[in-house]
Amino acid sequence: MKLTVDMLTDLSVGAAFLATGGGGDPHITYLCAQQGLRRYGPADLIQPEELPDDAMVVAIGAVGAPTTSLELLPSIDESARVLEEYRRRTGRAVDAVVSFEIGGGNSLIPIVAAAANGIPVIDGDGMGRALPEATMMTFAIAGMSPTPALALDYAGNTEMIDAPDVHAYERLIRAFAMQRGGMAISAEFQMSGAQMKSCVVPGTVSLSIALGKILRSGGGNADQLAPALADLFENSIYGAFRQLYSGTVSDMSTNVIGGYDVGRAVIESLTNGTPSLHIDIKNEYLTACLDSKILASVPDLITILDYETAQPINAERLRYGQRVSVFAIGCPAHYRTTQALSVVSPRCFGFDFDYVPLDAET
Amino acid sequence: MRIGIDVGGTHTDAVVLDGETVIAAHKALTSEDVVTGVVDALTYLASQTIDFGAIEAVMIGTTQFTNAVVQRRDMAPVAAIRLGLPSGRGMLPMLGWPEDMAAAMGGHIYMLHGGYLYDGQLLAPMDEAEIEAVVTDLVTKGIRTAAITSAFSPMNAQPEQHVANRIRARIPDMRITMSHRIGRVGLLERENAALLNASLLAFADKVVSAFDNALAQFGLHCPIFISQNDGTLMDAAFVREFPALTFSSGPTNSLRGAARLTGLEDAIVVDIGGTTSDIGLLRGGFPRESNMVVEVGGVRTNFRMPDVMAIGLGGGSLVSDDGCSIGPQSVGHKLVTEGLIFGGSTLTVTDIVVAAGQADIGDRQMVAHLPPELVANGLATIRRMLENGIRKMKPNADPLPVILVGGGAILAPDTLAHASAIHRPENSSVANAIGAAIALIGGEAERFVNYNERSRDVCIADTRMAAHDAAIAAGAATETIRVTEIEETPIPYMDQGAMRIRIKVVGDVEALVSGKEPAL
Repeated sequence: MKLTVDMLTDLSVGAAFLATGGGGDPHITYLCAQQGLRRYGPADLIQPEELPDDAMVVAIGAVGAPTTSLELLPSIDESARVLEEYRRRTGRAVDAVVSFEIGGGNSLIPIVAAAANGIPVIDGDGMGRALPEATMMTFAIAGMSPTPALALDYAGNTEMIDAPDVHAYERLIRAFAMQRGGMAISAEFQMSGAQMKSCVVPGTVSLSIALGKILRSGGGNADQLAPALADLFENSIYGAFRQLYSGTVSDMSTNVIGGYDVGRAVIESLTNGTPSLHIDIKNEYLTACLDSKILASVPDLITILDYETAQPINAERLRYGQRVSVFAIGCPAHYRTTQALSVVSPRCFGFDFDYVPLDAET
Repeated sequence: MRIGIDVGGTHTDAVVLDGETVIAAHKALTSEDVVTGVVDALTYLASQTIDFGAIEAVMIGTTQFTNAVVQRRDMAPVAAIRLGLPSGRGMLPMLGWPEDMAAAMGGHIYMLHGGYLYDGQLLAPMDEAEIEAVVTDLVTKGIRTAAITSAFSPMNAQPEQHVANRIRARIPDMRITMSHRIGRVGLLERENAALLNASLLAFADKVVSAFDNALAQFGLHCPIFISQNDGTLMDAAFVREFPALTFSSGPTNSLRGAARLTGLEDAIVVDIGGTTSDIGLLRGGFPRESNMVVEVGGVRTNFRMPDVMAIGLGGGSLVSDDGCSIGPQSVGHKLVTEGLIFGGSTLTVTDIVVAAGQADIGDRQMVAHLPPELVANGLATIRRMLENGIRKMKPNADPLPVILVGGGAILAPDTLAHASAIHRPENSSVANAIGAAIALIGGEAERFVNYNERSRDVCIADTRMAAHDAAIAAGAATETIRVTEIEETPIPYMDQGAMRIRIKVVGDVEALVSGKEPAL
């Protein structure tokens, strides 16, 4: 399939939904990808199984604090350059690129790199959502090495990163980004086609486009779109889908959980007497609780939509008084293993309870 | 005493306030040239034995600058100068603008090296030769207006100031908007705001001079203030520099006027006009702001705008044959000829409430034939629309007082679900003009900080001082300045303690406090 400029709006809205409140403002990355594809032409989107087992694929995306790119704008050639530099510095072949995070702007960055370099982009990613650290990628959980990686800053400076493990890599790449204005683009996790197929979350790029199409259809408010969303997710690798709650954001505060400042949003029902819903936030929406009952928890996806327009609202933009609807979606099976849950369960974010799978709730 | 004037799309309202008391009010049609409508209003007030010598200030709310942008007229070509390279390569100014709007700007784009990073480090040093080439090009092309934007200028504006100085050294009469003076963090939206503002600078001179002249005709030599979109005021000199800050001041004045007329600080305000009802929320006497990106004439900006929801219910809204559906089509100001009660042939919402005996205007006999069921359905539809709108704007499940203002307030019933009480204040038809007259002077500042590097108290004190200075620059009396909002937002994916602080302050008008001209 050809990924063209006119598909980017659907993709970025779908990716904002899968960002579960994180990923920053998608508008700037969208504009950048739009200009990129106008310059380089469309990209080829291929299914993971279409890539030969012996072909080489590399993951590309941005690392850092999306808020800083509100001022430090991305450049339309930077994802192409990170790939060129990666090839030049490592001497390795790259036959395809893949997104390491479908949630938010990182869904778009590999597409521009693919278009500029005339290679395909994989329909899939390394998270199926958004998460804060490289250690949480399905690639890392499957034991793939993130290095050698190449990081590129806004000025075009590059640095090769070698690290003994993904934890060390995560510290090095983040330090690089913070020292260079808060954002960097990286090429990392080089894998063979066979390795990629063993751990990629498949089909998430095309699913994002389909998701964005539903959200942008003008088909009504969050309640009215819920059946179409349920149909999409229930027939995908995600499986479970719930509309948890609708109401008005009545409080935003900060809690200290496990040594971290974690934001908490309280959503109050418009029906008197119904208990309010609490959402705990650390970059992403992590847990949704009604009284003491856990309705949904990370790594399942929790997303908040503006009730009227059914557009995703990220955590930075969630404000007192907004009318919203809260949705939960089961995570892909990749995150249900003991090994995966050892890095992405609620305990890894400081909560003192275990993951409660969404489908176990019914 | 002070005079408040609100120039709306249809009506020009004027009031005279003595302290808290309305001593005269007038509603007239807005004239094509705006100034004639203002002169008409002042002529009426002058005829009401008002001593114009005792007027200390005139406050004006105007939609002229919004209309100029929406209609793409009275806009001058602008050089878009950005300092941010080597970041943002290929992300040119005016990306995503409607084509006709970008065309109105003339397509003069200059991308230069410079700006800062989030942590206060230089993004890139400025290149003097690059700047010189831009200035030469401006001279050659005869461009006389510029908008200058540099990365992180709300935190460090030195690059914008430097380029402005370099331009003025060669072109002393250049009209310049520096983005840090008009917008907040968010380079593209701030740059858009600066571009729209710059393109209106020449028009602003014309408008302010016209107001000056109109007032002088009546012997009014007091200071003039213009309403801003956040419910605060700027003095005339400030408007000549920042006309774009008047965008959306109409709904804000209506909300603030409603607060003053009732003394309520927390309430829902429903402003019912001819075509729509605008529903907003008052919190602490000020409108709740929209936190969405605001589009003006199709351009994304980050102006401070009130969160107002418009529903298609007004005095002229069309009613379906069964009464179960109303609007959004409306006969608008033609109600007085097309409505049934005025001898016309269109069934409007006003006809329904007159038929029901809820209001007494026009000729009631003309609606005597309407079936009772239609009238009952119509009233139920009005109620449902208002109740739905109020429910959506409420901040929580608790009932709130509802203030009805505007010419169409008679459409609303005396009780509504979600309303703890219904207020129909006297003089509500001129709430906008009252809102303009009572407005305060505001100031705002925003900083990216790290509480691990400097204490929270120091960071907040610094930001508050910057907001304080901004308010004084806009004409506020120092001793009256108070903080109205402190917003702390953690910056995601950064170190613990990384925060964005935004502080707003307001103060009384210096000229009214001390009787002297505000210092600029």
